[in-house]
Amino acid sequence: MSKKVLIIVPAYNEALNIEKTIKDLTSQTNYDYLIINDCSKDNTKEICEKNNFNILSLPINYGLTSGIQVGMKYAYQNKYEIVIQFDGDGQHQAKFLKDLVKEIEDETCNIAIGSRFVTKKKPISMRMFGSILLTLAIKITTGKTIKDPTSGMRAYDKKAIEQFVNNSGLTPEPDTLVYMLKKKMKIKEVQVEMKEREFGESYLKPIKSAQYMINMFFSILFIRAIARKSK
Amino acid sequence: MTLTLRIVLIISSIISFLLCIKKIKQAKLKVENSVIWMIGSIVLIIMSVFSKAVEWISNKLGFMAPVNFVFLIIIGFLLIQTFVDNIRISSLNEKIKDLNHYIALKEKKN
Repeated sequence: MSKKVLIIVPAYNEALNIEKTIKDLTSQTNYDYLIINDCSKDNTKEICEKNNFNILSLPINYGLTSGIQVGMKYAYQNKYEIVIQFDGDGQHQAKFLKDLVKEIEDETCNIAIGSRFVTKKKPISMRMFGSILLTLAIKITTGKTIKDPTSGMRAYDKKAIEQFVNNSGLTPEPDTLVYMLKKKMKIKEVQVEMKEREFGESYLKPIKSAQYMINMFFSILFIRAIARKSK
Repeated sequence: MTLTLRIVLIISSIISFLLCIKKIKQAKLKVENSVIWMIGSIVLIIMSVFSKAVEWISNKLGFMAPVNFVFLIIIGFLLIQTFVDNIRISSLNEKIKDLNHYIALKEKKN
């Protein structure tokens, strides 16, 4: 049975990438999409309006987490059954989304992650070192192995969407995966390929990476790991 | 407690007390948020005036000097205040975020 799918594309100053990303989405899939314009300072909004893209514009810049959360609210209000988180910066490729949706439609999992390292090995770099540490932290706290915890390409089912709507503390980050696992949800990884960024700056600037890692570790080890069992 | 410390504490407490009243009158500070500062000022004045009592308590608790005891109380008070402020900021943050989402979703419908 095919379910109603919404692709959330968070965009902050993505004027250079957004057109390409949406063309990729509409040519590769038949799913609905929603661009979340997080009060971009460039002409992201104008480009989207000119192309008649489906866009939701936030009046204040509030970061990636807020963008995903408002997307989840929109999906919930409009009765979507699957939400896909898809970066607007050109790193993700739409041709892999069908595989994610299939996993959820077949009910093999609640969250499907587009992972770079299911069949392929992690390359050695500073960034991957962070990824390995996060995988380890998730393994320690939940016993489950998630090979690509920082992947931004994820599909959530209805149960996970409801969690996002009801808990404003949830982020589109690895610590939420721990939270979901503690809530007895199943997470599955699907092999995908990702491109390097073409234009613009990422949400995760190098200077912020260290802070991000510290936040994630504290959240996973001390907050999400001891979350109460589902009510 | 030395006389200098007592004078400094009394003067600064009176200034902060008066400042609170001024800010409330200017409507820049809410009464419920400023009461704690006024109470703090009064406590410091009392401690400066009855310094013998402070010295006695400090001795009983085993402090090296009464001034350490006074500082500890001030630091403890400030830590609690910053923590309370932190909670307030987080809750305001959530409220603004919800408002942000509400406006965006509402504009989308129209």
